[in-house]
Amino acid sequence: MDFELNEDQQAIVEAVDRLLAQQAGPARATALGNSDTVEGSYDFALHSALDEAGFSCIARDLAREDGTPAALEAALIVEAVSRAGGVVAAATQLLVAPALLAEPPAGPIALCTRRELEQGTPVRYLAQASTLWVVDEAAVTQHNLEDVAVAPVRTSFGYPMGRIEATGNLHSVGELHNAAADARRWWRVALAVEATGTMQAALNCVVGYLKQRRQFGRAIGSFQAVQHRLSECAIQVEASRWLAREAAYHNAPEEAAAVAAAFALAAADQLFTETHQLSGAIGFTHDFDLHVWSMRLLALRQELDGVGGARRAVVDARWRDATP
Amino acid sequence: MEFDWSQQDREHRQEVREFLAAELPDNWEEMSRHGPGGDSQAAFSRHFCGRLAEKGWLTQHWPGEYGGRDCEPWRHSILGEEMWAVGEPRGSQYMNVNWIGPSIMHFGTEAQKALHLPKISAGDVLWCQGFSEPEAGSDLAALRTRAEKVASGSDEHYVINGSKIWTSYCNHADYIFLLVRTDPDSSRTRGISVLLIPMDTPGIEVREIPSVVGERYFHEVFFTDVRVPCDVLLGEEHTGWNVVTHALQFERVGAARYARAALTLDHIARVAAERGMLDDPIVVDRLGEARALCEAARVLVYKVIDLRAKGSPPTADTQLARVLSTNCDNAIGRLALEIFGPESRQYASYADNNFRLAMTAGVAVGATEVQLNLIASRFLELPRE
Repeated sequence: MDFELNEDQQAIVEAVDRLLAQQAGPARATALGNSDTVEGSYDFALHSALDEAGFSCIARDLAREDGTPAALEAALIVEAVSRAGGVVAAATQLLVAPALLAEPPAGPIALCTRRELEQGTPVRYLAQASTLWVVDEAAVTQHNLEDVAVAPVRTSFGYPMGRIEATGNLHSVGELHNAAADARRWWRVALAVEATGTMQAALNCVVGYLKQRRQFGRAIGSFQAVQHRLSECAIQVEASRWLAREAAYHNAPEEAAAVAAAFALAAADQLFTETHQLSGAIGFTHDFDLHVWSMRLLALRQELDGVGGARRAVVDARWRDATP
Repeated sequence: MEFDWSQQDREHRQEVREFLAAELPDNWEEMSRHGPGGDSQAAFSRHFCGRLAEKGWLTQHWPGEYGGRDCEPWRHSILGEEMWAVGEPRGSQYMNVNWIGPSIMHFGTEAQKALHLPKISAGDVLWCQGFSEPEAGSDLAALRTRAEKVASGSDEHYVINGSKIWTSYCNHADYIFLLVRTDPDSSRTRGISVLLIPMDTPGIEVREIPSVVGERYFHEVFFTDVRVPCDVLLGEEHTGWNVVTHALQFERVGAARYARAALTLDHIARVAAERGMLDDPIVVDRLGEARALCEAARVLVYKVIDLRAKGSPPTADTQLARVLSTNCDNAIGRLALEIFGPESRQYASYADNNFRLAMTAGVAVGATEVQLNLIASRFLELPRE
């Protein structure tokens, strides 16, 4: 049991932070969000940079001797990418894909449930993805999106979204048998890790602002009524972080993965509400960086049946089998 | 960073569980229903801690020279988790081994160490802590209980006058870890000292404060011209604030409340399943939320234990863990009332017992609001103005 990064992990985090400082950040996320083109809405440059630096395959490349993926190291990278507001499908690529395939497809992968596909709901990164994985009860179906018409969908929630216009054109290029449970476990860990990095950045943004912004002759962050709410947010972020890292380290056991998602996605709601309330009207503007992270939190909360789905999964994993 | 227990730690946990299964009496549930301070549990703790001492586990994290085994704090935390999970059969002695003994090791004279540490490591002494006063609750530095040094022939004594309040476990305690003001001209954190005083010293009177929490939970302790020799002083005179700060730096997570909450939740969920309540999506949602909360509290406490294991100076991680543990305890206490419904109206029923034991968590060992203040200043570095 050791909560400190070892030297290798420290080096990984420092390296990815250096890369992200150059190639990501809230200004870039905002610029990508304002792009008029489908291609321009996704950070293909950052995606390539993460590939070339070896981060995308880190779970496989640093796998333990028994072949277990180095998921904690992958989680540290995804957390950093989320903190930096990166507009890339790193969570799927680094955390979900290695658990399902030894050689995942190149390019962005979009992930949705069968119901989302059938209902035609907007899916994160779908318009830019080259591969779609559809998770249903038993299997994960893989689709090549190169010849499929995907319409970009305007959204308030921070990530580029898309919708398949005619699912009749969608043909499976393979089925990952018995992979659905694995996909759900890792998807929940990925959501918890993404939520953690995103919440941390939102909290940092608002804490920094409230140290400077003065009203009634003093910094807003000096009022106890404000401090207690920020302290509660900090507790939520820290607990989310360690639950997510622990679940990744143990390779997403069903209960731990569900617990991490259940906690982080509930925390995400609190972080959204509090960071916006405490930053006032400026918090809603494009000039203030908070929106880069805060709006994404609400999108993350809707994936894989959200908080409610994660809590059901917790109960199923821990107690359902004991039902007489 | 890694989150595995060592093989030895896993084996130790299993040994402790087997020990508990063998040692706890058949009526343990009945015996423990009033919590660690209850009469029956206090009496049992002397026998039980003696058995733990025989196994070498009671103070296994202490240095060998003081009766310990030099084990890592992780080993002691495993013991704490398993003890709290079954309702803390060590009674109030968890405080002895967590912080009272270590404080005496750090600040005590050789005579104090020789007097107190063998008793603690043998599991045959009960302590209480005399901190809060009627006018010094969250604002502990406002304490007024006075210890005046007076000459008596060639000897000097302290004469103590004042009172402590909200004191738990003192009705059974052999000693009190007492915070007093030794410099009458001082204020706030200066001029305070710690005295280690036998509870049977003449002039000490204990009165129970009846409360909804349960029987003999809160007490007042009155000190009227209590004369004690000066060698009861722990550390240097007037520097007691430093002693207490050192003593309690990790104690805010010393009681593994999340472990008890998790066990309670498992029981609640089993009852819900037996009664067909897992078909109710609201019940399922509440159970899932509660389990996540228990795990969140656990992992934040582990973070603090890791700092302690590395000998790091205390950080605000302690406060983060403390607040979440409190939230966890309260949430499971309330959930028990909801799952058991009208049955919980019966005093000392399962849900009632758990609720009452949980309800004080937010004010014990520093109110939640004080913890949030500390997180704001030390963790978020928000300005004080």
